[in-house]
Amino acid sequence: MSSAKSAAAKAKTKRILNIVITYCILLIVAFIFFFPCLWLILASFSKSGSIYTFDGFFPTEYSVASFNQLFTDTVMYNYPKWFLNTLFIAVMSCILGTLLTILTAYVMSRFRFKSRKAMIKTTLVLGMFPSFMGTIAVYLLMTQFNLINQQWGLILIYSGTAPMGYLTQKGFFDTIPYSIDEAARIDGASNFTIFIKFILPLSKPILVFTALTSFAWPWSDFILPKMLLIDQDLYTVAVGLMSLDETQFSRFAAGSIIIAIPIIVLYFCLVKYMINGMSAGAVKE
Amino acid sequence: MEKAKQILRSFFSGLCNKIASFFKGIPQKLRSKLAAAKEIITQGNGNVGASMCIMGLGQLLYRQWAKGTLYVLLQAAFIIYFVMRGGADFFGLFTLGQVKGDAWYGIKGDNSIIMMLMGILSVIMIIFYIAVYITNIKDVYRTQCAEDTLKRPPSFTSELKDLLDKKFYKTALVLPIIGVCVFSILPIVFMILIAFTNYGGDIVPPELVDWVGFENFGSILSLGQFASTFFRILGWNLLWAVLSTAINYFAGLALALLLNKKCVKGKAFWRAFPILAYAIPGFITLLGFKFMFSYGGPINFYIQEGGGKAIGFLAVNSKWAARFIGLGVNAWISIPSTMLLATGILSNINTDLYEAARVDGASAWKQFIKITLPYVVFATTPVLITQFINNFNNFGVFYFLRDSVRSEGYFLANNTDLLINWLYRMSIDNNYYSIGAAISLIIFIITSIISLVVYVLSPAYRQEETFR
Amino acid sequence: MKNIVAFAAVHVAAVLALIITFGTISVVRNNGITADTTNSQQTENEIFTGELERNITLRVLENNTAKERGYLKELLDAFNEEYAEYGIVAVDANIDQYNDLEQSGPFGYGPDVLYQANDAIMKYVDGHHILPLPTDKIDCREYVSENAWAAYTTIDSDRSYTFGVPVNVQQPLLFYRDDLLPENWEQEWDDDKNGVPDMIENWSDLYYYSRQVKEESGGARYGYMQSLCDSYFSLGYLLTYGAYVFGGEDGKDTYDIGIDNADSYKGARIIRQLSSVMNMECTQFTISDNRYSRLASGTYFATMTTPDVYTMFISEMIKAGYTEEYAREHVKMVDVPSLPVSGDLEDTSQGFMDMTVMGGVNAYAISSYTKYPNASLAFVNFATGYEMIKKRCEMLGISPARKDIVEELGGLDKTISDNLDSGSIYLMPSVRATTQIWSPLETFFSLIAGDILDNRNVYATDEQLRNGLSDVNKQIYDSIHTLAG
Repeated sequence: MSSAKSAAAKAKTKRILNIVITYCILLIVAFIFFFPCLWLILASFSKSGSIYTFDGFFPTEYSVASFNQLFTDTVMYNYPKWFLNTLFIAVMSCILGTLLTILTAYVMSRFRFKSRKAMIKTTLVLGMFPSFMGTIAVYLLMTQFNLINQQWGLILIYSGTAPMGYLTQKGFFDTIPYSIDEAARIDGASNFTIFIKFILPLSKPILVFTALTSFAWPWSDFILPKMLLIDQDLYTVAVGLMSLDETQFSRFAAGSIIIAIPIIVLYFCLVKYMINGMSAGAVKE
Repeated sequence: MEKAKQILRSFFSGLCNKIASFFKGIPQKLRSKLAAAKEIITQGNGNVGASMCIMGLGQLLYRQWAKGTLYVLLQAAFIIYFVMRGGADFFGLFTLGQVKGDAWYGIKGDNSIIMMLMGILSVIMIIFYIAVYITNIKDVYRTQCAEDTLKRPPSFTSELKDLLDKKFYKTALVLPIIGVCVFSILPIVFMILIAFTNYGGDIVPPELVDWVGFENFGSILSLGQFASTFFRILGWNLLWAVLSTAINYFAGLALALLLNKKCVKGKAFWRAFPILAYAIPGFITLLGFKFMFSYGGPINFYIQEGGGKAIGFLAVNSKWAARFIGLGVNAWISIPSTMLLATGILSNINTDLYEAARVDGASAWKQFIKITLPYVVFATTPVLITQFINNFNNFGVFYFLRDSVRSEGYFLANNTDLLINWLYRMSIDNNYYSIGAAISLIIFIITSIISLVVYVLSPAYRQEETFR
Repeated sequence: MKNIVAFAAVHVAAVLALIITFGTISVVRNNGITADTTNSQQTENEIFTGELERNITLRVLENNTAKERGYLKELLDAFNEEYAEYGIVAVDANIDQYNDLEQSGPFGYGPDVLYQANDAIMKYVDGHHILPLPTDKIDCREYVSENAWAAYTTIDSDRSYTFGVPVNVQQPLLFYRDDLLPENWEQEWDDDKNGVPDMIENWSDLYYYSRQVKEESGGARYGYMQSLCDSYFSLGYLLTYGAYVFGGEDGKDTYDIGIDNADSYKGARIIRQLSSVMNMECTQFTISDNRYSRLASGTYFATMTTPDVYTMFISEMIKAGYTEEYAREHVKMVDVPSLPVSGDLEDTSQGFMDMTVMGGVNAYAISSYTKYPNASLAFVNFATGYEMIKKRCEMLGISPARKDIVEELGGLDKTISDNLDSGSIYLMPSVRATTQIWSPLETFFSLIAGDILDNRNVYATDEQLRNGLSDVNKQIYDSIHTLAG
């Protein structure tokens, strides 16, 4: 009797211990991930603007001057303009890129044609080439097409290369049962109709996932816009922020936080879809 | 031990079989192609001949006006292209220019590099032309067959409809293929060809560039310090790729498991923190961390405050400290996405398995080893490969974290550089484009062999067909 | 059946013939073109006919400071008013101040007129990306010193070409706060009784003073602080004791690298000694970033940098709570101190000598890809005229290359001008290979700067320093020549 009781008590302490340890680890993890972000946020509110007047991690005085500066002092660093540029490029690349990627993935998943296997392997191999070496070629190509200093040039590149990453999406489509297609075909639907009417509505998670990733890339990319945009009024936020002087850290941090916010909001709203899309795509790539 | 040997043996024999069957298949494929060609040649009528002469002519003779006109227009477009620049571009690929430009005297001159690029484009166009030409002949022959069997040839509208149905894949893939050809394949072919030229150093336009064959590869192998640097960096690069992939993978998985625990309340709240890290653009994080670990940064501030001596985490003479920080920072950036992935996969596991295991009295650890891990690893092999490659070619981490210092015994590099960073220093910072291209070709061969082998042998790939 | 194949053959033959014909035509046509360089004597006058192009827009590249402080706007407004009758409008090219003309020019994205430093501009000469200027048509020809012109002149097949019109001279200066000087400096720190504190006259006293400040404050405050790893500034110590970058008559012989020449190890020794009065931050670029705020907070007494960042110190002082007048009065900018002849900061027995510093001359140049060379030249003449340069001095605090203005202003600008004439300013070599010297030097400087502070003592003896320098020399040589083929 008492042994059973003590066993139960033991199990209970074990469970409590388990919970305590779990929460401790969670706290530590949360701290590790949150602290650098917090530090960046604090830095953006530093009054002095320089990071070297900090007491360790913390500014000595706080103000919103950096944010003010970001939107008012636009002679050299036209942040509002950069922001709009980035938004335009990211949104357009997102729409076009998602469309192309989803189409590619759907076709690769549902159709069996001669060069299919070869194409799968080719894209896999191409994806391994150290990408920035090709940027020289891309620059020269764009000079020939007269697309330097044009936002459309960037959009074209972002959406044109997006289908290369179709594998996850293909994996997702693989998991949608074939019986749906067959049933629709009996009703006389064409493949196009099946795709639009039956498959797409089922693919919300992967659509969201694709849209998010193809939005996030141009949103924070630095190398391509740096190379292709010459006029400072056409800069994207990433290029503009990198052109800031090192001594203006608060301004850099403030600018970073503002561009991080939309992404964070999107992720939080759509995290469910992200998880489903990612994992479904991964299971059967 | 024996088991490992067996796995290895089956691994290699499987690989050999794949390769052998691929080559064995070639004659068969060729034969069937030849037979098809022969059939067209022997059976084709005058209209087929007309299409062979001028694209679309046969279709027009069959009164397929829309399609015929389309082909004729394509034919005209190609002729215009070849006259306007295609021919010159194609020849330019071989000469790489003969006239040195001189802006002072208004001499436009030849830009060898652009000539090479446009030359490659002309080759792509020629291939495209051949493909269109062949489909044109096949198409008219098909019409002939349809006529012969006394059926009306398919109308243009029905063929268009077909493009949205049976041949929907063709319609859907046109744009992606053009995009990938122009923005992925063209640049890659360009870089591969650059490896065989003397482009770089003082030889940049307006100077004329020339083909040099395998000279660049020769100098990579023959220069003593070059080869030693290469192997040092390669060693570290492989270690980095393995370690960082493993760390990110297992830590991400562990985090997902932790958040999946029944006793954890407010999962969305706890998950928010890693997602926050995920959402901040990488270059911002990296610059932040660089400052954090510098001599004037907050970490050293607290070390000194506590009476310690400042530590040069990322200083010139630090090696492993800098490498570990690189691993840590990379983990900070990458773990959240692995966590999201693993969370999704864990939610797909059949819970009956656990139920059964619990009935059998298996401990939590045993359940993890026997059920969770195999399932997750199985499901994520392709992702694992992608992550390995991404980490192998992880440019950002050390580019942003470390100043442009050199380390003893390294040529144009320091001891934390990965091959891709070395490549960057050589080709972008120091203008040695051709050598950089040669090295990227070598990296490419290494990574593609590793991942192709793993991918082809991975269960996910093998079972693709059986899945349905 | 046979004739069908013939059709295909005809098609293939026709297409091949097409490609081959037009391919060959292009090759043959190109063979006909050869550069007519025999007539190059007259290049400048052929291009610069003196006839102004009308109703055009000129794109001007200026540096960020000029833009930020509104000088560029004043310049453009004044020019546009002056040339309104010709319909010439100059605008801000609005591109990055370090834009590489080699990359943007040939494709038509570069500026017409550009303002950059001599090493940047002269790099464009080999590819003929900038135009040689007609010296007889440059208005300020007489007023700019010969040495400033020399930075923009090359000699090629028996005649000289000029590529830029010098605007200002850049050299590192010592920045310090005179309100932080010890109260009794007139007694304790002015041995020669010339009314100037010794610590800003020579490096030995600056070193002693810095040591005293660091020791007395227990490391909370410092005297002289500098990111010693910064090769641009630290190279000066080596140059003073006989080092040079590239040899040859024109300083462009990349096979002759002289970082370890003569007694340059003495310069390295001085860097090592100086590091002992600082902290580990001198081995990284931390101090380059924090010196503005730390000087303002009184943590640092002095540092070395170029005059174009003067206003950064002022604005940090204002942020720290001082008035602008106070800041301008007490943040001083002086010529760099002199170095002991002995090459040892603790041995002043042999007296002092002037320090040689790395410097540059900034100038306007005209892109070869401009369609309006004459209007561009008119702009350059306008922008380097007395009025505009005077205004530039007032608004941006630059040291002008024009002698007439130098004479008028006197003081520090005169000193800098004299330094250029006396050779105390070592101009950045204007060859492409110069980019290869920075990383090896930075690594070496960073190592010697941490040598004492980190108790490594790998560079304690002259011999070790000498070996270190010849290693650097070899590294630079290798990075230039190993891959060049």
